[in-house]
Amino acid sequence: MYNADLNFIFRNPTKIVFGMGAASEVGQEAEALNGRKVLLVTDRFLERSPTFGGVEKVKKALGNKLAGVFSEVEPDTGTHIVNKGADYARSIGADCIVTVGGGSSIDTSKGIAIVLSLGGKIEDHPGINFLSAPVIPHIAIPTTAGTGSEVTYAAVIKDHEKHRKLIFADNYIIPNVAILDPLMTVSMPASVTGATGMDAMSHCIEALHSQQAEPIADSLALGAIRLIAEFLPKAIENGNDVIARGQMLIAANMAGVAFGNAQVGVVHALAHSVGGRFGVPHGVANSILLPYCMEYNLDAVVDKYRLVAQAMGINVSGLSDEAAAREAVEAIRALTRRINMPQRLRDVGVKEEGLKQIAEDAISDASIVYNAKSILDPEETLKILKQAY
Amino acid sequence: MAYTFLSEEWIAAFKEKINSNPNYRESGSKWEHGTIALVMQFDQDILSKIKSDPVLSKQIKEGETAVGIWLDLYHGECREAKKVSVEEAQNAKFVITGEYARWKMVLKKELEPVKGMMQGKLKLKGDMPTIVRFVKAAQDLVDSATMIETKFVDE
Repeated sequence: MYNADLNFIFRNPTKIVFGMGAASEVGQEAEALNGRKVLLVTDRFLERSPTFGGVEKVKKALGNKLAGVFSEVEPDTGTHIVNKGADYARSIGADCIVTVGGGSSIDTSKGIAIVLSLGGKIEDHPGINFLSAPVIPHIAIPTTAGTGSEVTYAAVIKDHEKHRKLIFADNYIIPNVAILDPLMTVSMPASVTGATGMDAMSHCIEALHSQQAEPIADSLALGAIRLIAEFLPKAIENGNDVIARGQMLIAANMAGVAFGNAQVGVVHALAHSVGGRFGVPHGVANSILLPYCMEYNLDAVVDKYRLVAQAMGINVSGLSDEAAAREAVEAIRALTRRINMPQRLRDVGVKEEGLKQIAEDAISDASIVYNAKSILDPEETLKILKQAY
Repeated sequence: MAYTFLSEEWIAAFKEKINSNPNYRESGSKWEHGTIALVMQFDQDILSKIKSDPVLSKQIKEGETAVGIWLDLYHGECREAKKVSVEEAQNAKFVITGEYARWKMVLKKELEPVKGMMQGKLKLKGDMPTIVRFVKAAQDLVDSATMIETKFVDE
């Protein structure tokens, strides 16, 4: 599995605070980061939702540390949103950011932190490891269990005018604190729970089959797979099952640390492209594509997929590595069927004539660099897409 | 003939090797995304070796702790390759920065540059998806450099 060439850098600087009602500890965490003028970043839906109530709880917990609320985040956050948020943060003299939301909100906050540090506009600063000093402290409180953005070093921000996604990746934008409170996710609808949960599952598998895979990330990914296999169906069957909700938050977080270090691969490259062309939610696209991409990568990583099968509770004793790996693919398919996820790209509005362009787009997605098998030819990605169609 | 890495002669040879590399001509044939600067940062040990080297000492000014190689690439051709200061390098469309030891690993094919960026071993200022689209061209550029018989100042 590994040889003497193994070399890696593992980062995991985020303090994790977990527990029922843990969001109420946000004030203490802000205090520990010397936050006196906190900017709360969220979206309008969460702010106004009568069933959620999490934003109000956080506001109350922050008390007089709360300097202002920026609630203009939308799904697939954009440069215009980040720049507006940064202007607002400056106007209130923010010295700490608290995010309540999903991946889009957390990425918005990462973008705001970059602009506050470097000035100008967010679109001036795409790149990797471009910061030379820490940015404003950031506490992330996820309201979905999937993206792992609360522990990752990247933010994807769309330039809606130029129809392109900008990537910002830097160790300094990893949030300082992630507060995982199961009560913040109980109002999430079953469809979103399923999609975000499968996003987390994809992070696990992608970390395991990445060329940058390493034993620490592997352990986190396999641990998270065990949790997802057990608790994702439970969280969908009963959204108020706070134990399942909590275990899913932990699983998504572990998966985030795993892929934040080991990177992702062709599943994400294709899912980003499918989302970009046809608006398919990221987790849904990942869920559909995952088993097909596993089949594509299978012969390169049979030993890893054997571990996936075991983590999903399959008895693989007596099976060859290849047979065990195929069991892993089928176990993933069975999970997606059990939680009623769409099975084919055609089921979610993708047009067959668009597959070629998706295949081309995926080749220039940063995620593809570390895929188990190097992919340079769009014909390869097209093959997978045709099977998943 | 062996050239010292970062010397004027080495940079001229790099340009020549890029332009005589048919693989790069093909993989870089669609590159029209601007200039690339490769910035090398030196620690004190390397800096003192550079300053005491008769060839390289001319390449670094007093007070400088880093230099850049400016590559003007267009449609599979290197139109210009030159040494620039770090400040001049920032004017390139893409700036890839790393410590001297990291670049040495790249030249010895121990570190693939795009993966090096993703691992945080090299820094990128510029649009990552554009770079990823040309990952093969990046490999061919490195291959071009490895075709030069290279001496390193610290070896």
